[in-house]
Amino acid sequence: MTLFMTFTVLGLVLGAVYAIAASGLVLTYNTSGIFNFAHGAQAMIGAFLYYQLQAVWGVPTIVSVALMLLVVGPLMGFLLHRFVMGGLRDTAEVTKIVVTVAILLGFVALSQWAWDPQEARMSKMFFGADSYVTVRGVTIRYHEIICLLAAAGIAVGLRLLFTRSRMGVLMRATVDDPDLLRLNGHDPERVAGLAWALGSTLAVLAGILITPVAGGALEANALTLLVIDAFAAALFGRLRSIPRTFVGAMVLGLTSTYLVAYAPSEWTWVTNLRDALPMIVLFVVLLVLPQDRLRGAAVRTRERYEVPTVRRAAVWAVVMVVATVAFRQLIDDSSVGTLILGLSFAIIALSLTVLTGYAGELNLAPVSFGAIATIVAFHSGISGTGLAARMNLVGLVAGVLAAAVTGALVALPALRLRGLYLALATLAFGGFVSSMVLRETQTRSWFGHDFAIFPNGNLIVSPLAVGPLDFADQNTFLYSAAAVFAVLGVGVVALRNSGYGRRLAAMKDSPAAAAMLGQRLVRLKLSVFMVSTAIAGLGGIFMSMALTSVTSEHFVYVLSLSLVMLTVVGGIGYVSGALFGGLLAGGGFTLVVGTFNELSIEHPVHAETFGILSHSFLVMTALVGIGVAQNPSGNFFEIFHGQRTLARAPEVRYTALAVTVLLYLLAYAEVIGTWTFGILVVVLWQALPALGRALRPDRLLSQDELAARAATPLELLGVDTPYPDRLGERLDRELGLPARHRQVTPVQSVVIAADHSSRPEEGVRHVTV
Amino acid sequence: MSLSEVLLETSGVVVRFGGNTAVSDVGIDVRAGAVTGLIGPNGAGKTTLYNCITGMQRPNAGRIVFDGRDITRLSPGARARMGMARTFQRLELFLSLSVRDNVRVAGDIVRANTRRRVDVEAETDRVLELTGLTDIAHLDVSDIPTGRARVVEVARALMTQPRLLLLDEPASGQTEQETELFAQLLQGLADDGLAVCLVEHDLPLVMRLCSRIHVLDHGVLIASGTPAEVQASPAVVEAYIGAEVVA
Repeated sequence: MTLFMTFTVLGLVLGAVYAIAASGLVLTYNTSGIFNFAHGAQAMIGAFLYYQLQAVWGVPTIVSVALMLLVVGPLMGFLLHRFVMGGLRDTAEVTKIVVTVAILLGFVALSQWAWDPQEARMSKMFFGADSYVTVRGVTIRYHEIICLLAAAGIAVGLRLLFTRSRMGVLMRATVDDPDLLRLNGHDPERVAGLAWALGSTLAVLAGILITPVAGGALEANALTLLVIDAFAAALFGRLRSIPRTFVGAMVLGLTSTYLVAYAPSEWTWVTNLRDALPMIVLFVVLLVLPQDRLRGAAVRTRERYEVPTVRRAAVWAVVMVVATVAFRQLIDDSSVGTLILGLSFAIIALSLTVLTGYAGELNLAPVSFGAIATIVAFHSGISGTGLAARMNLVGLVAGVLAAAVTGALVALPALRLRGLYLALATLAFGGFVSSMVLRETQTRSWFGHDFAIFPNGNLIVSPLAVGPLDFADQNTFLYSAAAVFAVLGVGVVALRNSGYGRRLAAMKDSPAAAAMLGQRLVRLKLSVFMVSTAIAGLGGIFMSMALTSVTSEHFVYVLSLSLVMLTVVGGIGYVSGALFGGLLAGGGFTLVVGTFNELSIEHPVHAETFGILSHSFLVMTALVGIGVAQNPSGNFFEIFHGQRTLARAPEVRYTALAVTVLLYLLAYAEVIGTWTFGILVVVLWQALPALGRALRPDRLLSQDELAARAATPLELLGVDTPYPDRLGERLDRELGLPARHRQVTPVQSVVIAADHSSRPEEGVRHVTV
Repeated sequence: MSLSEVLLETSGVVVRFGGNTAVSDVGIDVRAGAVTGLIGPNGAGKTTLYNCITGMQRPNAGRIVFDGRDITRLSPGARARMGMARTFQRLELFLSLSVRDNVRVAGDIVRANTRRRVDVEAETDRVLELTGLTDIAHLDVSDIPTGRARVVEVARALMTQPRLLLLDEPASGQTEQETELFAQLLQGLADDGLAVCLVEHDLPLVMRLCSRIHVLDHGVLIASGTPAEVQASPAVVEAYIGAEVVA
């Protein structure tokens, strides 16, 4: 009985902290419509800052807590809302999710910069672990009592806030109809800002409370994940109801502690199961959530993607393979592996182009599907031993199929629901793979077969050999990876241009209208998710072959999240966006951080500077991700848009091409370094539209822009004003000009109006007297 | 025409939102080969009734029978595959597709569902021509005026070769000229045997096109009959103009 009571108390305490974290999440979601994936990272930052104040700087506990809850928490929420979340109106759900993911990554990078992860830090309980009361033989620490009281207080407080206070009602109204609120003389931004301040404070509180309960170790990734577990509790309340969220949190906490207390000792996997429990619960809750009602909701979001023709895509595919071969000549053998890794990630990122770019759904754990594919390929497709061991085609195909089937299983419960839930399901799957599958390192009996899923926690993945192609040769591997990406890229574009692709676009733009045309939405989503995870599986196997030896570290959630974020930054609707995201996530980080490390070894005097540069690069990347809010279509949209204007001055492009070839030759002759070559080429092509306008204004600028450039004589200023067509018609009429002239006018105005990209009836003319 | 077959019939449909009854015990019918009007002041429950008919809203009570089959519990997609199509009062166009692709994708969906070798291209061209959209087919659908956008929704619905077409305020936002063409289109479709149901505030248009009209007010069916009967009904006059004026 004492055992039972002890574990009940422990479970309730854990539940209380989950409840605090989850209620903050529900609060911000309901006032801003943004599901804050960075909630866990905010809690983590809160725990670290509190540790810094209280343990390192020796600020008294009560003052530290007050500072954290009254200043840091609200300020963090306010700043996030003011500078990031406020800019997310009129963007697709994907963009909103990715921006919070970027914040998560940014906070993790910041914390690792400020607090060296190599150093061990322990967070202590309030009043220490030795202050406790004993009730009927059950020990309850003061810290635990504080957790319970805090949760109870917050439950009552939030209830009162939402039902009794004017501000609470305003908060609920903000989500339903911000415009109506504005018309009634309120400022929805201010209301949402307050909600964010409150939500952040709850995250910070949860972070401070949970760290000692969970063992006390301050570790950025683990702490971030710990509060992500609260997502499951929030789902219990369907992200709306605070009381149900509290119930969910308690159920979660109690199950978790009872599992450890009462599971038979021969179940060695039970601790893994406990770690995976919130994710499993999250999954189960998704299964029982009622289906969303189909609503009309087609709104113009700010994302824009243009679809290239298959021919154009094929041309670019050839260019990409040729460029890979050419670039290979510039780099030394040791860097080839990084490039292969980058291309493998680009293949994984391509799975996001199909899923997110074309179908508007999100997968937050693409790399975990790669892990499944790798494991299956490893077990089914390696022939030969030692250095002669090779992966065969059977293994590759089996791995890809396994990823697709797993994808179907993961997606099925969430497909009836909104996009956010699929994102959460994939996140849960990623957590499950990390805490259950990749920890299955021991041999155990599976239905009578002795078998280890992830033997010794380290898989040696041999290179693929198909016919004359042997990936053991680095060059063969590199060119094959480039070719596979190119072919898949063209395939993906062809898919988008097919009837299937149009159906995906229809489903993404208006599920209601697509359903009313007879589209089976669940079936379509399922098929595209399977296509997507199959591609992710293929990329995952390539990644594992590139690394040759993989551990669970290679499949962590941060990697998946970085990849998703960088692909969105590149432009998730484009194959080139996938290439950008993949190269940066897979190769770019290693390369940049590695280069800074080398530099600091070469120049020990500046070691500190290079360290700062290296860290700030990581943080900057997250900032770029947050910047997606400003530019939700991704960087390539801007680039393509700029390059297209150059079509009227092909000589500018040819010159740039010639300069690129020249630079390449210089690099090949080792006159300039590879880095210099790379940077110069990128800068050249980025700046080309601007350069072109400066050099060939006559060709590239529209009539109006030219006219604006030409200086207007002083006496004509103010006379040279646009005026609508009907004034022109009246003028014609009064001057008695022939009717012919009048008829011509609208046509002229249409031509001019086209330059303004406005409607014909709003057409205006510039007339210089 | 009055002898034509009843394709859709609702009986005793009730929808409540909280304490507010949006549709109360409504029974209407829509016949093949004719345009049936569904009118009523704002908030009368017309769109809610449409949502029940198309399966986007589950009624609290009542039955919906389409082509002799009880479809009350079928999904919107299943109803569409049985030959039902609708347009939306708040436009639901596929904003990332061109006008042509908006129409074409409906054919793609039909082809994927039926596995029939339909010539989607040719059918798209035919429907664009029929609805007078050929000149703007290449444009981005977000760049066209509302009046034409409503026609795009009709064209898209026609691609599924429906037997019942439910239109939700298709003429709002159209110019007089566009409405005239639109009326001719609807008359032609009905003459070819299609059952058209029209929710519309443009009463002259409704009176001219419809052979039968149902009038809703505050969720209650207050009149059903020919245009002349409906116009003569005191309840309708009261609902539209107000009791005081009549008195």
